[in-house]
Amino acid sequence: MIHPFAWLTWLIAVTIALSATRNPLYLILIGQALAIVNAVSTAQSRQPLTFWKPNTLVVMLVVTSALFNALLVRYGNTVLVRLPAWLPLLGGPITLEALVYGALNGLALAYIFIAFSIVQRMLPISTLIGIIPRAFYPLAIVTAIAITFVPTTLRQAQHIREAQAIRGHQLRRLRDWLPILMPLLIGGLERAFQLAESLASRGFASQPTQSTQQHRSTQLTISVALTGLLSGWMLRLIWAYDTLGSILMFSSAILLFGKLWMLGKHAPHTRYRQFTWNNADTAVVLCASVTIAVLLLPWPAIERATLGYYPYPLVSQPSFDLGIGFAIVGLIWPAVTQYIKS
Amino acid sequence: MITIEQLTFHYPETAQPTLHNLTLHIAAGSFTLIMGRSGEGKSTLARCIGGLVPHFSGGTISGHIRVAERDPIALGPSGMSRIVGYVFQEPEAQAVMDRVEDEIAFALEYTGLSRTEMRLRIEEVLDLLDLAALRDRPLDQLSGGERQRVAIASALALRPQILVLDEPTSQLDPQSAEDVLQALIRLNNDLGLTIILVEHRIERVLPFVDHIIYLDGDNTLSGAPAHLLPHLPHVPPLIAVARTLGWSPLPVTIKQALRFARATNVQPNQTIAPQISSPTILELQHVHAAYLKQAVLEDINLTIRAGEFVALLGRNGAGKSSLLKLFTGLLRPVQGRVLIDGRDIASRDTAALCRDIGYLPQDPNALLFAESVMGELDQSLRNQQLTDRSYIPQLLMELGLSQYAQTYPRDLSVGERQRVALAAVLVSQPRVILLDEPTRGLDYGAKQRLAELLRTWHRRGMTVLLVTHDVEFVAGLVDRVILLGHGAIVADGPTATVLGTSPLFAPQIARLFPTSGWLTAEQALQHIAP
Repeated sequence: MIHPFAWLTWLIAVTIALSATRNPLYLILIGQALAIVNAVSTAQSRQPLTFWKPNTLVVMLVVTSALFNALLVRYGNTVLVRLPAWLPLLGGPITLEALVYGALNGLALAYIFIAFSIVQRMLPISTLIGIIPRAFYPLAIVTAIAITFVPTTLRQAQHIREAQAIRGHQLRRLRDWLPILMPLLIGGLERAFQLAESLASRGFASQPTQSTQQHRSTQLTISVALTGLLSGWMLRLIWAYDTLGSILMFSSAILLFGKLWMLGKHAPHTRYRQFTWNNADTAVVLCASVTIAVLLLPWPAIERATLGYYPYPLVSQPSFDLGIGFAIVGLIWPAVTQYIKS
Repeated sequence: MITIEQLTFHYPETAQPTLHNLTLHIAAGSFTLIMGRSGEGKSTLARCIGGLVPHFSGGTISGHIRVAERDPIALGPSGMSRIVGYVFQEPEAQAVMDRVEDEIAFALEYTGLSRTEMRLRIEEVLDLLDLAALRDRPLDQLSGGERQRVAIASALALRPQILVLDEPTSQLDPQSAEDVLQALIRLNNDLGLTIILVEHRIERVLPFVDHIIYLDGDNTLSGAPAHLLPHLPHVPPLIAVARTLGWSPLPVTIKQALRFARATNVQPNQTIAPQISSPTILELQHVHAAYLKQAVLEDINLTIRAGEFVALLGRNGAGKSSLLKLFTGLLRPVQGRVLIDGRDIASRDTAALCRDIGYLPQDPNALLFAESVMGELDQSLRNQQLTDRSYIPQLLMELGLSQYAQTYPRDLSVGERQRVALAAVLVSQPRVILLDEPTRGLDYGAKQRLAELLRTWHRRGMTVLLVTHDVEFVAGLVDRVILLGHGAIVADGPTATVLGTSPLFAPQIARLFPTSGWLTAEQALQHIAP
């Protein structure tokens, strides 16, 4: 199994790559890398990636985003069709450029979703909690609960929709959603209540509470730190004291995280799952770091301008830099590692 | 271990106390069953022991309760967590993590135990509950019984002295329920763990308990099964027969009762199953069905005639609910044909089908959203563009809901809510009613009322198809039983034939008098003179 930190680094690299480029050639390359990692991890985990198949998800998001952009953005020279002007918001030209740009945004969004799904599937929730600092443990638990709550809520929504459908209910207008949303909301609250009971009966948050004096000291420190952060930000934004504002923000952040770290140290919390770091994890992190470095930093032999692709005002052929291409190919390394290990 | 003195508890904004002047003692190492009608405070009592009431519920409490020398009212559930392990009805609603081992480790991690100690405890509970082979499995890939055993393991990892379980088997098929009960028996016998179990379907629990608490308003009974069972109003068929025939000492297991049964002159039931010649109303022809490409039903051929009363039994995941959904259009076959009145329903949508077919889902709450019971019925009529409201008063009266017409449905009890859902489905007067696990969470009285209603509607010509795990409910009710296993029909025939010969689904009376053809206490007592 790849170390959670290695997966996290890979995920950061994929997210940076997908945020940095709209060049269709690089996007296709990232898509291929994700497909390879997904294929190998599917064989290992024996679970489907998402509720939808990855290809279905890509098509859905690409089509939706392309249509949305084409209907709302009027730029571009290649007019495909012209909607009547009397149509509110939608009337006007539909251009190929807007369609292409929308599709590229949809593609990037779908790939981000798939990358997160791969990591979520490969790492149990406990490992995700494990990499969050101890001071944020309650927050990590809330996140874990939210993650496990989503599939339950989706299943519940499906049951309610079916039950209402066989009662003759049809979704035609906005208010027709009420028979679905009301039971879903009430059921969700009931489940949340039962989960809270379950957590309490398993001793969650049963640690001895702080003394009144400690509690006041904690409140005061956090208040001072937050005020410092806000003041520093305002100094930079409103009065243009960049250096002073930055120093104030930096020192307040250190104070805040220091306090939280101290609080975390006092919480009697240990971890059951432990991971060992090995050479394969180092390779994953190195490859991901190379991708990040190539995409974010200026390098003499790299044409970073090829990352940006803007189809307006006329769709043009995207250019390609071999160095960036190789950096993106490095994203397949988790698949190589898993393949070798298996 | 547990001492309760003059305990009285009111939920907020209720006039009547749920627990009134209750005085009890539960011994260390006992296996205690809390039983009684719905609304008598079984779960409330269990929650008081774990400190959940009044900590979570609010309300007013008076009297004393001591659990292992501690006061749960003062300590609350977190403070009691090392003493009392609590397992809820729905295993799905109490899991935090996504894998078996992590879920068990969850409670241990924030108690600050060393990793060595955690490993020891986790191995211990995995072995105790026979979960070692499942340790790396995601929770959503487990069966209901397995998930409930994980919930028990998670509660036990903190090594409590008492384990409280609130209807842990209510959603499980007989085999899964048996697995959970066997795990509890092991914990009670081998570790001396005090077990307190709240349960409606007591027939499968009675053989193992050594203490019963029967809550009935001010007349709470508490004692050994041998002392209490002769006096309880609702008992399993085996006890009912034994009591009437004067078998002494009163047997609580089939094994104990067989000694008396063998001395009984059994005259096999000569009644012949009625031949139904009415036209076919529901039909499946070579049907294959799947969810997300996972096959759930394979090559099903089934014919149900108008006016038949049929039960569909099978283990969790056998495909029972999927089969019901085929007739409602909620699930479309991958292959084969679904016919209603001889017409293929492939081109008909669910909204059109529901004029002929009424469907009561497992969870009646999925249906209820209106401000009043009457509002729910009106909504059903509106959905189907029906204007005739003349049937509503009769329907409400038959369902015992006339006085609740203007009540908010979710303020009603589980049984009443289920009847509201049934009313919402039946108000359009469908010819067929499909019921998915209709006895879930119902006490004996509510089940009897439901059985009476179904009999009445069946006598009027309605076709009834119900899915259930409750074999005792089915035994005296339906004419025909279909057994499903791994997505295929494994048995189909008259109730006495199918249930009488099934090792897993045979009711108590069929096990007691295997060659008789009797399924219920009433049938047995008709043929045996006391």
